Amino acid sequence: MPITTGATLYAFTNEYLTRRYSFADLLREVAARGLGPGIEVIGFQSIKTFPEVTDAFAENFRALVAELGLAPVSLGINSDRFLRPGQPVEDAHLLEYHKRQMRSAHKLGFPILRYQFSTPPAMVADLAPYAEELGLKLGLEVHAPAHAHHPLVLAYREMYAKVNSPALGWIPDFGGTASRIPPSLLEAARARGARESLITLLEEIWPGPGPSHEKAATLRAAALRDGHAPEHIQAVSLAFFILANGDPKSWAELADRTIHIHGKFYGVGADGREEAVDYETILPIFRDAGVDATIVAEWEGHAYSTRDAFAEVEKFQAMCRRILAA
Amino acid sequence: MTHTLLPVERVIGESGLAASADGLRLDMRLPWYRSLPLSTVRVEALSLDGAPVDLADALFELDGRRWPLAALADEIDSFWFVLDSAFLILPQLHPAPGSRHEVALTLAVFPPYIPGMKRANSQTATLAVA
Repeated sequence: MPITTGATLYAFTNEYLTRRYSFADLLREVAARGLGPGIEVIGFQSIKTFPEVTDAFAENFRALVAELGLAPVSLGINSDRFLRPGQPVEDAHLLEYHKRQMRSAHKLGFPILRYQFSTPPAMVADLAPYAEELGLKLGLEVHAPAHAHHPLVLAYREMYAKVNSPALGWIPDFGGTASRIPPSLLEAARARGARESLITLLEEIWPGPGPSHEKAATLRAAALRDGHAPEHIQAVSLAFFILANGDPKSWAELADRTIHIHGKFYGVGADGREEAVDYETILPIFRDAGVDATIVAEWEGHAYSTRDAFAEVEKFQAMCRRILAA
Repeated sequence: MTHTLLPVERVIGESGLAASADGLRLDMRLPWYRSLPLSTVRVEALSLDGAPVDLADALFELDGRRWPLAALADEIDSFWFVLDSAFLILPQLHPAPGSRHEVALTLAVFPPYIPGMKRANSQTATLAVA
């Protein structure tokens, strides 16, 4: 199977939080617009009883996706270690917390769980046999600021090589290899009143060396010195937390264990290209490596814009199909 | 400069203020994209018509259950579902139905999967008491 396009309901966070679309409404709209069949759902966003799922909910969900012709692909889980702020829970508690979410994925019919860096490598190794038992795969969301040879990722690569379980894989998320800050993010900051000198400062500091949090601190100090409002600094600093400028070609190193793909994007321009991420370089890497996965459209412009997410996802999927067919 | 809040930034819910026998009720929304345990949510401040409101005897209501604000810290297994409204109940306040008030509410969240992160969101609105 080649790479196919799908959608994560996270892209429709604004439509959902405003209660204009319920979970079922979003699934129906995704199906009606042909944005599936593959879908990703974040458990703690869409399911009230999560990390548990009731039998009735699971039955209704399975019936609805069957009716709509959708295919559950990935369930986003969370590693909530700090259930009390600043006080980590015991590993045994956290391990069971993951297992509860794995059982819920199994019950709903999702074959893949998306986990994050907050689940440490040793715990993932401990969960691998349980995933195999349930017939599930665990995929690390390789999220900004990381990329294939970021130290964070190297620790998981080492563990994957040692454990060598078919249940363990990667979920590339391309925010860590952005070529630029999306112009739509800068526009949103301007609309909030950020002055041009603050935008310039961001564009000077963002591409530079060093960890994202240090660059954010550098910007903050300089911006406060120049008299910029904290609210405006916060608006532009979003760029440090969602985007980094790693090498897009580095994804080739993760292609062999890629089980699912996050199509992180901000907007597709009139030229048919993504504003910030160089998909023209990235997607052929996975296509040519023969990766069998769904790329779910993950519009993150909702973090600063209330544009219609459905229209954004449609444009993005068309772009992906063009590149993948070339 | 004012701007429209993003859905994930608002903390005052659509039904606003309501008078009740138990005191004034304020509709609150969770300023995050996913549900969070109540132990990671704090009602930081409320002011009414510019004056800070003492929250010592305020109650937090969700799904028919009520907690004193100080008790939320222990609720690690009770989740605030991201679509649901919670209500802040202020037993000392009994403004007349129909009266209008400027409400400023600050909620803070500590997303439990992001070490050390605290995000505080404030919203001010002028609301009529239902």
